[in-house]
Amino acid sequence: MFKDLDPLLHSQLRLGVMSILISAVEADFVFIREKTNSTAGNLSVQIDKLRDAGYISVEKSFKGKMPRTTCRITPEGVTAFEKYVEDLNSYLQKK
Amino acid sequence: MENLLNEKESLELIGQMISTAKNNLQKGTGKIFLLWGYLVAGISFGTVVLSMILPKETAYHAYLLWFLMFLGMPVHFWLLKKREHERLVMTYIEKLMRWVWIGFTISILVVVVGMLLDTVILSYFVSDAKGDNFVYWFQWLLLTPIMLCLYGFALFVSGKAYGFKPLVIGGIVCFIGSFLLLFSIHKTGVVYFQQLVLCVSAVAGFVIPGHMLNRKERKDV
Repeated sequence: MFKDLDPLLHSQLRLGVMSILISAVEADFVFIREKTNSTAGNLSVQIDKLRDAGYISVEKSFKGKMPRTTCRITPEGVTAFEKYVEDLNSYLQKK
Repeated sequence: MENLLNEKESLELIGQMISTAKNNLQKGTGKIFLLWGYLVAGISFGTVVLSMILPKETAYHAYLLWFLMFLGMPVHFWLLKKREHERLVMTYIEKLMRWVWIGFTISILVVVVGMLLDTVILSYFVSDAKGDNFVYWFQWLLLTPIMLCLYGFALFVSGKAYGFKPLVIGGIVCFIGSFLLLFSIHKTGVVYFQQLVLCVSAVAGFVIPGHMLNRKERKDV
């Protein structure tokens, strides 16, 4: 049914992360966790998958003494996201 | 944990998530508005009061109060640092607005430093530049309307970008103030009028939206 859709994006949490990042220059891990209503462990795993695919970049730094993880979408990620939305639209039109 | 979606859920999720980062007002912005709003309103009102108290010959010393604006700078940078520390997301609107306000600050500095330099040159190098020489002080009558026009521009654009009406209204008040001052530049006693219009504009453009931003930030962020 969804064989044409990017399997990496066709998951609730990963698509949520990508949708947040497409509308922002950068977002903190905490912000993404709050907005997607996910657990830190699960989000961390999904972010690693998106990073390994080259869809997002992850920067680790310190905010005062607290570790901070900042995520940004990459140009490859933008292309993949646009293609996913396009595929979704053409699927809906066919339906 | 993989939660697969159907096509409708996918589109809903995209729309929902995109809207979370839209028009996000960074916590702490209201405080920066309040700092400059109260400072400008207080100094402009204080200038009028002091001008009335001081003897006529030395009334212009009241304008030295404006040097208090420099006190706002360390507080501004402290608030800015605190705001950036708390930042969890940076939207494209915020990135653009940051450059608009940096451009606004540069414009203000260009105008003020340019006029100060011109005054120094006139005072020290032009022999007939005395206190009663029209050219000597006329440029300072243009300062407030130019400032108000720049305030109006930055506030209006910010208000429209964030979809925050009080800023748009504040910007329009500044535009009207600027127009009124340019229109009345030839009138006697215009210097007091300028300071009062500046005071009202600072309240309308910065103080009121600042308090409303604080309330909105508590709800949004």
